Amino acid sequence: MKQHRLIGDVGILAGGFALLWFAPSFASDYALQISFRVMIYLTLAESWNLLTGSVGLVSLGTASFVGLGSYVAFGLANHFGTPLPVILMICALAGALLATVVSPALFRLRGVYFTVGTLALAALLQLLMVNLPTFGGASGIFLKHDPPPLPSLYHYALSVALVTALAMAICARTRISVIIRAVRDDEDAAAQMGVRPYRVKLGAFALASALIAMAGAVQAINLGAIEPYGTFGLQWTIDTLSMVIIGGIGWRLGPLAGVLFVVALGEMLANYPEAHIAITGVILIVLIRFAPSGIVGLLTRLFTRPRRLSSP
Amino acid sequence: MNAATVPLLEVTGLVKRYGGVVAIDHVDLQLWPGTITGVIGPNGAGKSTLIGMIGGAVTPSAGVIRLAGRDISRRPASERARAGIGRTYQIPRPFLDMTVAENLEVAQYSIAPFIGAGLAKTERLNLLQLTGLLDVAEVPARALPLLKRKRLEVARALALKPRVLLLDEVGAGLIDSEVTELIALIQAVADPHVAIIIVEHVLRVVRACCARSMVLNFGKKLIEGPTAEILAHDEVASVYLGTGGARQSVQAAPKDEAAAPQQGLNLLSWLIAPKPPEAASRPLLELQGICAGYGQARVLKDINLQVQQGEAIAILGANGAGKTTLARTITGAIAPTAGVLRIAGDDAAGRAAHEISGLGIAHCMEGRRIFPTLSVRENLLVAARQVDHATAQQRLAAVYELFPILAERAAQGGTSLSGGQQQMLAIGRALMARPRLVIFDEVSLGLAPIIMDRLYEALATLKAAGMTLIIIEQDVDRALALADRVYVLEHGTFGLVGDPRDIADDPRLRHIYIGTAD
Ligand SMILES: Nc1ncnc2c1ncn2[C@@H]1O[C@H](COP(=O)(O)OP(=O)(O)OP(=O)(O)O)[C@@H](O)[C@H]1O
Ligand SMILES: [Mg+2]
Repeated sequence: MKQHRLIGDVGILAGGFALLWFAPSFASDYALQISFRVMIYLTLAESWNLLTGSVGLVSLGTASFVGLGSYVAFGLANHFGTPLPVILMICALAGALLATVVSPALFRLRGVYFTVGTLALAALLQLLMVNLPTFGGASGIFLKHDPPPLPSLYHYALSVALVTALAMAICARTRISVIIRAVRDDEDAAAQMGVRPYRVKLGAFALASALIAMAGAVQAINLGAIEPYGTFGLQWTIDTLSMVIIGGIGWRLGPLAGVLFVVALGEMLANYPEAHIAITGVILIVLIRFAPSGIVGLLTRLFTRPRRLSSP
Repeated sequence: MNAATVPLLEVTGLVKRYGGVVAIDHVDLQLWPGTITGVIGPNGAGKSTLIGMIGGAVTPSAGVIRLAGRDISRRPASERARAGIGRTYQIPRPFLDMTVAENLEVAQYSIAPFIGAGLAKTERLNLLQLTGLLDVAEVPARALPLLKRKRLEVARALALKPRVLLLDEVGAGLIDSEVTELIALIQAVADPHVAIIIVEHVLRVVRACCARSMVLNFGKKLIEGPTAEILAHDEVASVYLGTGGARQSVQAAPKDEAAAPQQGLNLLSWLIAPKPPEAASRPLLELQGICAGYGQARVLKDINLQVQQGEAIAILGANGAGKTTLARTITGAIAPTAGVLRIAGDDAAGRAAHEISGLGIAHCMEGRRIFPTLSVRENLLVAARQVDHATAQQRLAAVYELFPILAERAAQGGTSLSGGQQQMLAIGRALMARPRLVIFDEVSLGLAPIIMDRLYEALATLKAAGMTLIIIEQDVDRALALADRVYVLEHGTFGLVGDPRDIADDPRLRHIYIGTAD
């Protein structure tokens, strides 16, 4: 039963991936830029949804791992000329490693302390980068070599998003899913059933951090230059979080819906940046008030049968 | 290694302190494979705390716990579960948004992540069958009534394939025939390699299953030995068993005597609403042709019931017959789909729960619903927020008089109380509103026999002073001794109505309660 659903998901993802792979041959550069952004945000949003929606760890640390991925990627590219696929793998490892190193402190207390801890981590890393001249200080670093052309970068972003989607399918469609939900619903009762809540939370945190770091790396290479205020900026955290909330936190399709909605809205209002921020804020408030389960939750309630990763 | 010389589980010098409260005070215990040990004792004696410390949910203040000779005192709960310690929670804690089957999957997949799906399913179905949950396998745990949740606790513990099984009051609230089933279940899972602890106030289970028992009192081991000897011991009778209730039959205790006002009345009278002038003419509660249910499921069919001011009626019946649904219909938690519901003559069908409670109907719910963030005292005062401070204090004093332990624990968090203490709190809270009519759903759930004596004395006193009572109870003898009239629910209708003396001898009651098996 579960296996079949997993195979179904993988089939859909493989098909979608194959179709999108050929986008550069017919899409314009503009369309490709937007698709690139969708893939990056999708990776961030899916990862945050896993942590917060499924495991119940409310993280405000997205930017830490975006920044980590960016700096590791630039370091490797500038100093060692490492090829991009290898860079991505090392970034994933670095993300998981940082998550593991900080987890004893973050998990020691439950609930809001984790949230505050992740926020503090991003601020701390930003401060560190600003003050360490080796990492370019406040003015940042430039990529020494030319970045790969856009179609190639797009393929990397697409691949990272695919890896993310596959990881989410495994978390939602296999026996891992009941374990994750048990930890979120009642950690103590789960432990009494033999579940190791610490490991489950650490696993999810490390996975999400690895994926975010990869997205951060691809994003930074596309930019060609990084500086601490942007890469470790709160904006990444806020964007990710609002996309998932708009799409529907805890829902499998929530991140996708939220990312498409927010990116499309951003394009329509591209010439009015202030209006964009204001309108996103208003939408957030209205949604939280009237449809706290987001676009997907609202549509599901109106039309279809429930299809969720887990109930909120 | 050496099964013959090392106990499967050994507890030495175990201590647990909560601030000034010593919940467990230097307890020693040895469990050998193939044995079933009973742990009994008054409410708050520390039984659940002991289970919690063995299972790893509660950290001991001192002492050592060894599993097959290995010190596990510092191991987390998850590792103990994996090492083969399965425990149930006295107040069930299922994963509410998961189905019953998924609840079992959690345990199965955590101890054996790579178990074949087919094998896991077979094992799961067997467990569901064994615990009588097969028909609700795909139902979310949130929709289960309390007693099914208790069964789910047992099923989850068994899914761990435990070597040490700790059962905390899994028999509470069961009628006789269900107790018989539970005993059969326990005997079916008993195994020469497994040691079982049973914490239970339903003494029939302890008598039938446990060769040896231990009595805890104020956290200390009072006595330990063969169960029959323990239960015959004078000291155990005085701290725990009381009269035992069952021995006082309906005929032997004429009602007027049982209801004679006691010295406690002075204080308890603060909890009794004055009789309204129209009381004599109209019934306080009247149900005509009431039907009710949940969605498609019709639970109650054509219920007729009249309760006069000052009467006590008992509602008996098997679990699942619709007793809780009836209570919830009267109190407005669910709206009847047909029929007339009158409270003191006013039409009350379809009114919201708070309006009905405003009419002087209080509901002491099965499953308790204690507010965890409020203290014991605040939990009580919540029910008396309409009255002035002095009156509230008087009622508080009356409830404390009834259950002195609540006064002792007044400042403590509501859910930090023991299971039985929470039941006392729920009863006290229902009385704090000074209701005209109280509906007690499973009034004696989880109470030690001696506290049940006290409770029924108090109920008799309250009744004598004019309070109207509807009592849903599994202890037939006590209910019959108190009630003026008895209604027996069978599949959503009253199969049997009448005077307690007649009902007591009716073979149909025996049939429902004892089951055809005996
Ligand atoms: N978290 C806590 N904080 C303070 N006191 C507590 C806490 N947990 C339990 N206690 C106290 O410890 C004592 C023992 O509680 P325990 O739950 O073990 O009793 P019990 O023997 O299981 O009783 P029952 O038969 O009512 O279930 C009680 O007096 C209770 O009030
Ligand atoms: Mg207890």
